[in-house]
Amino acid sequence: MASTDSMAKKPLYLIQAQKMRNFYLLLMSFFMIILILWVGIPILMTVMWSLVDPKNPWSYPNLFPPSFSLAQWKYVFDYTNIGRALRTSYTLAPLSVLLSLVLSLPTSYVLGRKKIPGKKFFMLVVLLPIIMPGMVVALFLSRVFAALGFSQTFFGLVLAHTLMSMPYMIRVMTTSFQAIPQDVIDAAENLGATTFVKIRDIFLPMIRPGLLAGMIFAFTVSIEEFNLTFIIGTPTFETIPTILYSFMGYNFIRTNASVVALLMMTPNIIMLFIVERFLKSDYLAASLGKM
Amino acid sequence: MKKKEISPIDVLMLIPGVGFILLFIGSSIFLTFVQSFGLFSITGKSLFTLENWKAILQARESIDSLLFSLKMGVLSSIGTVVVAFPVALFFRKGGTGKGILGSIIKVPLFIPALVAAFLILNLISYHGLVNTFLMRLHLISEPFRMLNDKFGWGVVFIQIWKNLPFVLLIIMASLASIRDDTIDAARNLGAGYWSILFRIYIPLAMPGILVSMILMFIKAFGDFPICSVAGPIYPASMAQRMQIMATIYQEWDQAAVLGVMIIVTAFIVIWAYSRLAEFVKGVD
Repeated sequence: MASTDSMAKKPLYLIQAQKMRNFYLLLMSFFMIILILWVGIPILMTVMWSLVDPKNPWSYPNLFPPSFSLAQWKYVFDYTNIGRALRTSYTLAPLSVLLSLVLSLPTSYVLGRKKIPGKKFFMLVVLLPIIMPGMVVALFLSRVFAALGFSQTFFGLVLAHTLMSMPYMIRVMTTSFQAIPQDVIDAAENLGATTFVKIRDIFLPMIRPGLLAGMIFAFTVSIEEFNLTFIIGTPTFETIPTILYSFMGYNFIRTNASVVALLMMTPNIIMLFIVERFLKSDYLAASLGKM
Repeated sequence: MKKKEISPIDVLMLIPGVGFILLFIGSSIFLTFVQSFGLFSITGKSLFTLENWKAILQARESIDSLLFSLKMGVLSSIGTVVVAFPVALFFRKGGTGKGILGSIIKVPLFIPALVAAFLILNLISYHGLVNTFLMRLHLISEPFRMLNDKFGWGVVFIQIWKNLPFVLLIIMASLASIRDDTIDAARNLGAGYWSILFRIYIPLAMPGILVSMILMFIKAFGDFPICSVAGPIYPASMAQRMQIMATIYQEWDQAAVLGVMIIVTAFIVIWAYSRLAEFVKGVD
């Protein structure tokens, strides 16, 4: 019989395996398309909206704008405060990253390497800025800042951004301090390493990935911080999120908002790919996966 | 074993991190609580009073806002986990092209909430892409109202889109700790796909699922920007109402009452989570 012949040539389990592989490939490509659409379409729409030609407006029911131009970009840079907001955002972020790094480093060392009572409590306190609803903190921190004379000042904004980025910084660095094996430190001490040598040759190289990850998370937190900046800084200081909010509020200008949205997310997405290349394991999940 | 001790140097090193957070978050929580009772009031007299609580609790709007925020919190947290779990299962095993896919799906994590709201708003607005597409296919005769709708589906959708990668990372980490041996053993003993899913994957990933649901709930419950962009005109979310109360009506004491309500809800949810987590893991 023909069927037995073909079965003799190719055993059933191989056919089944082939079928399974084909099915898997199909599923995989289906999933891939869905994912790319899920992330890609919203971004593509925004790119198209930012390139709409004011002479040929894009209106319902056209699926695509009739013609493209850079007029919207020119308009946003010429007539809005976006330049100043970009400068504010990008000076604020490095300063707050630096401050939160300096403040977090000793704390993460103690939380990561020392056996101290109440560690669980401290770890929970560290998470407070993320756990606490943003608007509540923003409103009443602004009262505290007003009492201290920090509200509507650049220093106040740096402090606020530092506060919001510290949970990520401390959690991520605590995890990387924990990951250093005690043997290595003991061996170094046995061989007569001084504190300076230990820091230079053991701690720094071993926490570098965590340090980088923490700094990048802190940077993105600062770039996208809205609640505190909105309450404490407006109207003296405008950052990219608050300017975007003003475009999306009472006078909704979709084209301007698209330009600002693209300006805001492009550096972040580039940073994401840098992080991906740098880091083998997922620091965010490792540090936030348990409370 | 070494005894747990805290030396003065440790305390000194804890102060910049833990102390900084405690100082600012603690003082703002303290201020919220005392101002809700009229103490430390900035509108002049400081007197202990329950008037603010009465005013807030008697207003119909407050109850509507509370219910709306609760609804957003619950729906967003359940929705995100329901979408994220199958994706996490898919990513559990490495394969060709998954590295780049993993990067693509993480993109929304690095897109700020406001931008995410704007991106999705282009899709689901009255004359947005989704409605245009459905109209072209003659599936519907009238565009759907998905943005600023009464129920708040727009907000839920934006929350899911924005927070999917965050939840995905947490769930993937807890799925990664499940060993393949366990699954092979179950399969050997005759377990099908569904029983592996319900008896192994879901129970063992439960701690991760719970944490992500909690964090999502708090985010969505206290959300201001997304609700103000895509939420219904009435009711406002709790955070929106509090912000309007404080900055537009200058009723800081009543805003403090709303703030206390948000904080207390967040802590009740966290407490319930820790009990649930103990129940799932067994007390350690």
